[in-house]
Order: sequence, then C-alpha cells, then structure tokens
Amino acid sequence: MPDPIHQFEVKRLIPLELNGIDVSFTNASLFMVAAVAIIFLFLMYASGGRALVPTRLQSVAETLYEFVAGMIRDSMGEQGMKFFPLIFSLFMFILTLNMLGMVPGFFTVTSQLWITAALALLVFLTVIVVGFAKNGVGFLKLFVPDGVPIYVLPLVSIIEVISFFSRPLSHSLRLFANMLAGHITLKVFAGFIVMLLGTAGTASLVAPLPFLAVLGITALEFLVAFLQAYVFTMLTCMYLNDALHPGH
Amino acid sequence: MSDNGRGAHHPKGEMSPEEIAEFKRRADQLGQKIGGTKSEKQAEIEAQEDRARHNRGMAMGLRMSTELVAAILVGGVIGWGIDQGLGSTPWFFLIFFILGFAAGILNVTRGFQRMQAEIEQEKRSLADKPVPADQDEDDA
Repeated sequence: MPDPIHQFEVKRLIPLELNGIDVSFTNASLFMVAAVAIIFLFLMYASGGRALVPTRLQSVAETLYEFVAGMIRDSMGEQGMKFFPLIFSLFMFILTLNMLGMVPGFFTVTSQLWITAALALLVFLTVIVVGFAKNGVGFLKLFVPDGVPIYVLPLVSIIEVISFFSRPLSHSLRLFANMLAGHITLKVFAGFIVMLLGTAGTASLVAPLPFLAVLGITALEFLVAFLQAYVFTMLTCMYLNDALHPGH
Repeated sequence: MSDNGRGAHHPKGEMSPEEIAEFKRRADQLGQKIGGTKSEKQAEIEAQEDRARHNRGMAMGLRMSTELVAAILVGGVIGWGIDQGLGSTPWFFLIFFILGFAAGILNVTRGFQRMQAEIEQEKRSLADKPVPADQDEDDA
C-alpha cells in the first residue's frame, strides 16, 4: 500500500542557506508562488475589462469581492473595510492553496502546520497591534468582562487570557487538521482500490465500493476546501472586531 | 356594444357589468401568471438560502470542534511552563488544565451565542420583509 503521508513531504527544490538558516526553495514555496501568480493573473485579467455588464470572469471576481466585503460588513461594520486588503488576500490565498491541493499529484500547502500557524500568528499579531493602537490600555478590557463581581474577577480574567491565547492555536490547527485528514482519507481509500484489484480473486469484485467512497469524499473535500477558507476568514473578521471594540 | 348604448345606461368613464367581468377575468389571469413566476423565483431563492444555511451550520461545526481542544492545550502548556519554572510539578499543570477546560467551554458557548444572535437577527429581518408575492393580492 502506498504511504498516505508521503504526499505531505516537503522537498528542497533549490537548496539555499542564509547565515546558517535553511531558506531552501521547497515544493511548498513553489505552490505558494504559483497560488499568488494564479490569484494575481486571474484578478488582473478578470477586472481588466471593467465592463458595466460583467463578463463571466469579471462576475466571478465581483462575487468573490462581494462575498468577502459582505462578511466584513456583517461582523465589523463599515469601518472594518480598511482591513479588506488583508482579509481578501488571506481568503484568496487559502482558497487557492486548498483548491490547488485538490489537483491530483499537487502539493497541499495548507496541510503544513507551520504555514497555517504563520497565517494564524499574522492575524493574532495584527489583532494585538491594532487593539493597542486603537484603544491603548483599554484593549485589556477584553479580559475584564462587564458585570463580574470583583472576587471572581482574577479567575475569570485568567480564563479569558487562556481563551485569547487559544485563538491562534485553534485558528491554525483547524485548517491544518482538516486538510491533512481529508487528503489522508482520500489516499487510504484510493489505496484500497489498488489492494483489492491486486488480489485478483473474488475480493477484487468489491473494488468499486472504495471507488464510490473516493468519489464522494472528493466532492466533500472540495466543499471542505472552500469552507475552511471561509471559516478562517470569518474568524479573522471576528478577532479583528474584538480589536476594534474590546469589552463586548 | 356601441358607444351609444354605453352612454345611455352609464355615465361617462364607467363600464358595463359585462365589461367589468371581462376585465376582472383578464386581470385574474395575469395575476395568476405573475404569481406563478414569482412563487417559482421565491422557491428558488428559498432553496438557495437553505443551502447557505446548511453550509454555515457545517462551518460552525468544524469551528467548534477545535475551540475546546485548543483552549485545553493552551491551559495545559501554561501550567506546565509555570511548573517547570517553579519546580512545583504537577500542581500548576492541574490547575491550568482545568482553567483551560473552562476557557474552552467559554469559547464554545460564546460561539453558539453569536450564532443564536445571528439566527434571531435573520428571523427579525425576515419578519420586516414585505408580504410575499402571493399574499398581497387584495382583489378577491
């Protein structure tokens, strides 16, 4: 049976070293560059026409814009729109990487914990910086909920702090775990087909069963690929909203 | 009928009963036609909203599953770190493990409260919407 973990191996394509730090150009780097190039070319081409009655591609780009803009307006209101560039970039980057991962033989960058952790930390640090820049010390109100008696306040504050620091972890783990698990499941079920056919006996007759499973899981994985990009973006909006209005 | 006959029985600008009946029949036909198209559109929109709601529910489920685990992990790691610093194993780990659990429950409850608020807001905006197409016909 083929090793289901093999597909997640990061390979050095162009080994590089900078001051003793490994900065090799890997297959993960390659797919990230490809994703950025795809997003850039697609949006440039799609919005190039600027037709009043949009062409098919232009309306796809407009739908994507409206989708993210609507998400921001719903969670943060109009003033959240200044984070639009960050949030739209995150959404498009994750969505494209997830979708690229669905192409057979392609590398799934979002199944690398360090990538998702870096993205989550980017959001986390943005929230902290924006929170303190906007509210000063008032940002700490996030850890002091309203209407809590003073004698349980220390306990509640500790719990709030833990809850706050669990955000980047759950933010990155969710994307990573979903992509990893989905791709392993696909590989394992696909492996069953080969194994069953390989027996060449009566067992090979049930080979279509895992094939049907693979078919269904593939459809599900496309949904998950989109949903995970959506969830990541939605949570980014929610966290940034806390930075704008602490003490909810 | 002739202009003459109409002028004789009705003042100017009014229609005979037959004409009124005929007009009503045509208006009803048109109303039914429009209503049919509208309700088809309505059903389509409702199906779309249903799908969106289903997807949102799934997104919510995917979200909540990790919230709890992450908070427990963070609590445990903080406690373990303090223990390493103070050499008080395992007391701070145990305390912060429980606090992490509390934080996890808090995360999940907050998430669901938010979802509940969203659903209620949606319901309210649905109630504010104008009456659906098939119910606004006052000619009966």
